[in-house]
Order: sequence, then structure tokens, then C-alpha cells
Amino acid sequence: MLYVFKFPDIGEGIHEGKILKWHVKKGQEVMEGDPVVNVETDKVVTDIPIPKDGVIKNTYGKEGEVINVGDALVEMEVEGEEAEEEAEVKAPPKEGREAEGEPASRTEVAKAKTKTKKIEEKGFGVVGQIEEADTDAFLPATGEGMEAQAAVAAEKEPGRKALATPVARKMAMDLGIDINTVRGTGPAGRVMKEDIKKAFDEKQAGPKVARKPGKIEIPAEAEDMVEVEELTQIRKTIINRMVQSKFTAPHATAFEEVEVSRLVELRKEKKEELAEQGVKLSYMPFIIKAVSLALRRHKSLNCKLDMENNRVIYQKFYNIGFATDTPEGLMVPVIKNADRKSIIEIAESIKDLSDRARERKIQLDELKGGTFSITNYGSIAGTYGVPVINYPEVAILGVGRIVQRPVVKGGEIVPGNVLPLSMSFDHRIVDGADAARFIKDLMAMLADPLTMLMM
Amino acid sequence: MLLKTFDPLKGKQLRIMDENGEIVDEKNMPELTDDQVVEAYKYMLYARQVDLKAVAYQRMGRLFTLPPNLGQEAAAFGSAYALDKKKDWMVPAFREMAAWLYWGATAKDLYLYWAGSEDGNVTPDDVNFMPSAVPVASQVPHAAGLGYSIKYKGTDQVVITYFGDGGTSEGDFHEGMNFAGVFKLPVIFFCNNNQYAISVPRRMQSAAKNLADKAIGYGMPGIQVDGNDFFAVYAATKEAAEYARDGNGPVMIEAETYRRGYHTTSDDPTKYRTAEEEAEWEKKDPLIRMKKYLEKKGLWDDDKENDYVKHAKKDISAQFKEVEEYPRTSLEQIFKYMYEEMPDILKKQKVEMEKYLAGKEGR
Repeated sequence: MLYVFKFPDIGEGIHEGKILKWHVKKGQEVMEGDPVVNVETDKVVTDIPIPKDGVIKNTYGKEGEVINVGDALVEMEVEGEEAEEEAEVKAPPKEGREAEGEPASRTEVAKAKTKTKKIEEKGFGVVGQIEEADTDAFLPATGEGMEAQAAVAAEKEPGRKALATPVARKMAMDLGIDINTVRGTGPAGRVMKEDIKKAFDEKQAGPKVARKPGKIEIPAEAEDMVEVEELTQIRKTIINRMVQSKFTAPHATAFEEVEVSRLVELRKEKKEELAEQGVKLSYMPFIIKAVSLALRRHKSLNCKLDMENNRVIYQKFYNIGFATDTPEGLMVPVIKNADRKSIIEIAESIKDLSDRARERKIQLDELKGGTFSITNYGSIAGTYGVPVINYPEVAILGVGRIVQRPVVKGGEIVPGNVLPLSMSFDHRIVDGADAARFIKDLMAMLADPLTMLMM
Repeated sequence: MLLKTFDPLKGKQLRIMDENGEIVDEKNMPELTDDQVVEAYKYMLYARQVDLKAVAYQRMGRLFTLPPNLGQEAAAFGSAYALDKKKDWMVPAFREMAAWLYWGATAKDLYLYWAGSEDGNVTPDDVNFMPSAVPVASQVPHAAGLGYSIKYKGTDQVVITYFGDGGTSEGDFHEGMNFAGVFKLPVIFFCNNNQYAISVPRRMQSAAKNLADKAIGYGMPGIQVDGNDFFAVYAATKEAAEYARDGNGPVMIEAETYRRGYHTTSDDPTKYRTAEEEAEWEKKDPLIRMKKYLEKKGLWDDDKENDYVKHAKKDISAQFKEVEEYPRTSLEQIFKYMYEEMPDILKKQKVEMEKYLAGKEGR
């Protein structure tokens, strides 16, 4: 008759083992006590002896594979025995754990199953799945069943302590993984080594958005029709940052037009005066100043969203990044504490930082610490755009080219200077109304620069 | 007198038979008949089969975690054989299978215990031994207490208690040894120095040169013996028993041996010791040298060995079958034996456990 020997629980509630070496082959005759396979568990490396005399019909699992306690290990033909209940179970490896009856085992092997439970949240549909340990799991060898049940109950609470073997804990520690954050797939939610490996691999891969894009083949006939260039480090950074931003922050963009004739006049007036002092006065210093002052009144546009800790961090400093076109690609130097700098100081900073960015002499910390960014594509060409937020900032202002256009003033059509603005914001934390209120203040300052003195 | 001649402080160790089965200390060779020596070997060989089978059964998932005895048979059996099992007391730790079997426990009893049944700890009526003590050195004060009762009653019994090299680091070891020393109790403190307390090597266990040195501090004689030499273990324990029985007080014996197997079946010795070291100690195995001795005397040969092992295995398998057919361990066993009458706190725990199990089945 056929007899199935399942991988036994050979340690204190172990759950799985890795097959290191098979000692037997199909068709081989074996005696009770003969070692059939060498396995490695969380605790030991050992040979597993066979409980009966007979002939091996099948072995399950290849060397290097991980098997679970209760999985069929060996199927054998045993002579001269009546078919026993357990022997009728022709358990393929996958179903081994589910099969009832423990061959040749008077001790109850822990048969913990995990089932996947869908957790639904009202209004959002299925937002996630959690592995819920079956509370039937009762490990008689160690009495961990009780603990396990407690662990299941605690799973929904923050700060729960994961159920795991010391080996697994050490592995997690060595890999820099907080074991309490790892979802356990073992009995009673136990965190297994493979769970930790998975968590580590995911961590290594970084956020999913940073994954490498697909491969593009160049057809042989087109080889001399294309120019291939390796990506520079700067470009790789831009790629990652753009993708991360677009796939993390849901962008919404508001468009506005400001009549800036007064600003144009003021600039014109001061431009030559300052040129004598060696300062090049563009519109940017005015815009940066106005933005920084508006941010002081609208904290939600100067915040950071910390999803890991479920909190918003409102920043009480106003560091404005400005997109700079360099031969290597886009760079965003940051003007620190722009709200406390004069327009002339800002103008000087812009020149200094952008010159050094183009010469690649800019320091790393001058590209960091921004709280809000401005991209001035209008200095080249462009009216409106949908700028990409410089994540993890929550908003970016796109500045278009000032165009002379007829505008209506006091019921009259007069020539006007119109500045188009496009502001993208992270709609998770910035509501449309907040964005509109911010833009309204900003427009007031740009329409009448003197307002800035009042802010 | 061995206890005087073999001063551990002078680095002396009693060894009568070497690794090749040669008698190297004829003067101290104990007086045993050939039949007794063969009987002793058979006991150790039987114990080894029980032990090897236990590990195999555990690896099949048929027994729970257990501590293998491989390599320590002479220390356990030699010391037990030197005592009077009809009246003396044995207070074991958990790795003295050969002593248990000699004292009257059966392979079935031992297997039952490691299969989770307290019934395996039931002592036959006509012998005196305590159940297995898994917590390290907790049994040492028990042995001192038994010694105290013997002294109080004025009987001529002695107590032997076993513990490991790791046990000597425990407070219980100190308390038991000190108490026995102060009251001159008839207790033999038998240390199975098997070189490792799980993974902690002997040199990390104590700064003392020999563990037997510790006896001095408690005012009792101490002796170190080659624990893989049946004759040395027997001779030293025999003399210690006479010394204690005569009212001279306790003795400590350190048997230097080696745990050839796992600490328990949940341990992996390859993590903390080398294959070379294991091979060195295999050469010193107590059964190998005893067999060589017997072969040289014409008392034993391979045929006898094979016959005996075959017979032993059959006997052991039959006993194991009884274990597998034994009724499942009842919940009550977990709570029943600590106190004569179950205290409220245990009653409460038992009820909680019953509720838990009922809930589990009801689902």
C-alpha cells in the first residue's frame, strides 16, 4: 500500500525547512530509520529518517527548495500493511498541509493556515489585504498557541510585537528591517525568513516608481539613424524625481492671469539703476519675494506630507527653489529664507546660484531644503504649462511669458501686460480653495508690487 | 584513597582505562567480575540504542524536543552502577538516560516523557529517583534536601545528583553544595562536564581550572575523573558513596566527558564547534574503549554486539509502539503534579485553558 511521509515538525514549532540534499531516489528500498533527506530549519541542519520499511515511489521538493511542515516529503510503497486512514491521503505537495491525518505521528503537528482577508474601507473599495492567521493554530510543543492568538488580536494595534524565531529576528536586524512592520505568513502570523527577505528586497528596490523602465530595442537597420547617449547621473536623478512626484502626489493645476503693468514699469525704472551696480533685475526676484510672502499666509502650500507617520509638517521657513536650465539638464537651486531677503538680495542670489549651477560649481546643500519651487519657462517661451511638483514639496508655480494684450480696465479696452501663472499643487493636502486663496494674494502683490510692503 | 590522592588542585585526573581499552592504572582498577563488566557494557549499549532511536523518532516528528546522550553513557551509568539502587536516591538533570534505565525506568517511560506525558516520570515503587529536571541546576538543592532528610532519619542511604558544567554557574548549585557541606550530608554532586552549556564552552563557564576545584570552597572533597572511562567513574563514585555513607559528608565528582550530539534536537552544534574537535572526542568515546577492553579479554566480539543491538532495537521498537498507542496526554497532567492539592491559581489557569480549548474545537 501507499504511504505518504510528511515533513514533520522537528523543532519547537518550526514551520518550514530547506531541502539541502536527498539521500534517496525513486525506486530505492529503504529501512525504517534510514535518512532520506537532509534539511535545514531555523534551528538545525539534520537528516530526516524514514519511519517505515518500503520502496520510495516519489520524493517531493528539489534541493534548495523550501518545504512546509506537513507537506508531503516522500511517497512510498509499504509492504504487508492494511491501508491506514492517513495512507489514503495522496497528498500532492501543495495540498499536503491541508490534508487531514498525520501519518505516523501521535503528536499533533501545528496546522496553522493563513487566510487572506480583504479589508474594505467605506468609499474607497478594497484598499488592501492583510494576512490573518487562523486562530485554530495551536502549537502543543511550546504552548505558543496562546501567544499566537494574542498576537493575532494585537495585529490591528500599533506597536505590536511580531511573532518570530530568534533566527528570523536576527536576520531582520542584520538587514535593517523592523520585524514588527513585516507581514508574517507563518502559523499564527509568524514572521518567516522569506517574509523578511521579501521585505528586504522591496526595500532595496526602493519605491516602486524608481523601477527601471522597459527596454527599448534598436532595430539593426535603424542603428545608423539614431544617436545613443548614456544617461548622466543628473538625468537619472531628474527621471526618478519626476516619476516619484507624478506617481505620489496627485497633481491639480490652477491657471491665472495677472495684469502686471505696474510691475513692468517698476522693473523698467529700477533695471538700469541696478545694472550700474552690477545687478541684473529680472521679474523673478519680484515673483520669488511675492511667493515667499504669500506662503507666510497660506501654510498648507509650504508643508510636507509625512505619510509614514500620518502627519503634516508645516514649515515656518520659506526656501524658494527656482528651476534653472543648465547644459546638463534641469537643476533647482534654492534661495533660503526668501521672505527675509530684499528683492535686490534675491536678484543677486539668483545670479550667483544659476551661474554656479551652469558651471557645475553649485554645492549640494544649495540644491536642498526647498519648501516651494518656481519654474520660469516664460523667460524662453510658453504661456501656460502643467509644472511637476518638486516632490516632497506640495506646490510649484509655473511662470509664463508676459505678453502685451488688450485688457479691460474701468470699462475701457486698454493695452495691458499680462503675466500667465500656472500652479500645480499636491491635491492630497492642498485643497483647491487653499490654492485659489494663495494665488489671489500672490496676484495682488504682482499686480501692485507696493502691496508687498504691506505683507 | 582516591579522594585524597587525586587532588584536582594538583591537576590530577583519575583514569583507569585509556582510549584503546588498555588498563593504565591497575592499582585503582575496581573489583568487578567479568560478568559485571559485560553487564555494564550491555547497559550502556542498550542506553545508546534508546538514545539513537529517540533522536530518529524525534526527527520523524514522533517525539518532541529531547536531549541526546551520545558519548555520556559511561559517566551516567558508571556512577549509577556504583550505588545501591534498592535504597539510594538518584536526582537527575535530563541527560542521564543510562542511569535512569539502570535505576528501573524503561525506554517506554523515557519516551513517554519526551512525548509529553507526565506518566513517563512515574517512579517504580521499589526505587528512589526524582523526575527529570530541565531547569538548570534546580535539582541540586533538592538533592541536598533529600540528604538532610536521610541524615535526620539516620538511614544509611546516599543521594547522587547530576548537573552539567553550565549548572555550576547557577545559584542553586552554590546553595545545594554549601548546605550539604555545612551539614555534612550524604550527597554525591556529580558534574557531567560535557564541555558545552548549549553553545557556551567550558572555558567560558568558569575561571576555575577544574570544576572539581569548587568542592574545596564548600569544605568537601572533589575529584576529577575521565568521564568516558567506565572504570574511573565507577571507582570514584564507589568511594564517594562509602565516604558519604560513613557520615563524612558530601563529595563532588567532575566527570570530564563530551556531548557528541546536539544539546537538544533544536540545537545545531556546527555553529559553535568544529568537526575536528568532534572527531577527536569520538576517538575517546566510552563505548568504543570499553568494547576494545572486552574484546581483548575475550568477553565480547562483533557477533555478540550485532546480536545484542538487534535484540535491543526490537525491544525498543516494541516499547515505542506502546508509547504511540498510549492515550493522549490529558490537560490535567499539566496542572496536577506540582502540589498535592491544586492551588486556586492553578485551578483558575486550568479552567481558562479548558475554555480556550473548547472554543477552539467549537469553531
